Amino acid sequence: MTPTENLVKRLPTEMGGLDAGPLQRVEHEYAPWEKRCHALANVLDIHKIVNTEEKRRGIAALGSEMVEKLTYYQRWIVAFANILFEKRILAPEELARKMNEVAARHSATSKC
Amino acid sequence: MSTHAQAHTPVPDAGDAMPSYYEIMETAVRELLVEKELIGAGEIRQMLEVMDTRTPALGSKIVARAWVDPEFRTRLLANGRATLEELGIDFFENTQLIVLENTDKVHNLVVCTLCSCYPREILGLPPDWYKMKPYRARAVKEPRAVLAEFGTVIPDDVEIRVSDSTSMIRFLVLPERPEGTENFTEEQLAALVTRDAMIGVVKASAPGKEKSR
Repeated sequence: MTPTENLVKRLPTEMGGLDAGPLQRVEHEYAPWEKRCHALANVLDIHKIVNTEEKRRGIAALGSEMVEKLTYYQRWIVAFANILFEKRILAPEELARKMNEVAARHSATSKC
Repeated sequence: MSTHAQAHTPVPDAGDAMPSYYEIMETAVRELLVEKELIGAGEIRQMLEVMDTRTPALGSKIVARAWVDPEFRTRLLANGRATLEELGIDFFENTQLIVLENTDKVHNLVVCTLCSCYPREILGLPPDWYKMKPYRARAVKEPRAVLAEFGTVIPDDVEIRVSDSTSMIRFLVLPERPEGTENFTEEQLAALVTRDAMIGVVKASAPGKEKSR
């Protein structure tokens, strides 16, 4: 098999049957923003804005490097942003502006 | 109508620390969707409350009920979702729940090789190891070795069936009722059913080895 063949044959998120090391029996308490991210996924699904299958595809579309390096809910929120751009529900510059606004709000309060 | 104040309805926050890039993105996406009135201002908080009610304790009760009530068990195995909806458990649209019964001939194990599909309605959010590569990669290839790493040794004459979840189909393992529990109440039985037993990586606990919770 050529070095790139596996990239063609598998989605970046497709793990079944790959070689992997011992189990990592890790668990962590979800951070509040991670729970909110999960709640957002459920609400988007309920409103038929983004369903689970679209989310899964959106995560695969991040590509293998992001799938590997981002944490679980980091992948989710980036995928949601991309899917909402694709659906013309959000515009990239609109999200960038809002993110600046949110960051500014936090830096204002954290100076207190 | 969405006012500025409503758009900022407080939802649990991480505290005073400057949030990460991704946390800021989450807040920004949520607030934009509320401003556009695509989702309600309080909906995320309400959903968080619903999610808090979904814990493995719910799954444990269902398993214990199936152990003591053969008629319930039959219905549960025939149609997991419909049977649990009768108990008032809400499912997301389009997801089916298949209940897999362990016997002295068959041991079931559940995985999601593609992502992290999980019966969240009755077990809550999955543990990290369920979502990580080693479990997802190896459970379908060498389930006995994976089970052994959980301390679960399945005799060679017992078939291991691995079920791979999808966004449409979720699985719950109905573990074998442990021996020596003939006189147990449903509540005592439920205490023997751990989350991991309902994923299939361990068996139900033996009497005297109840969950600490």
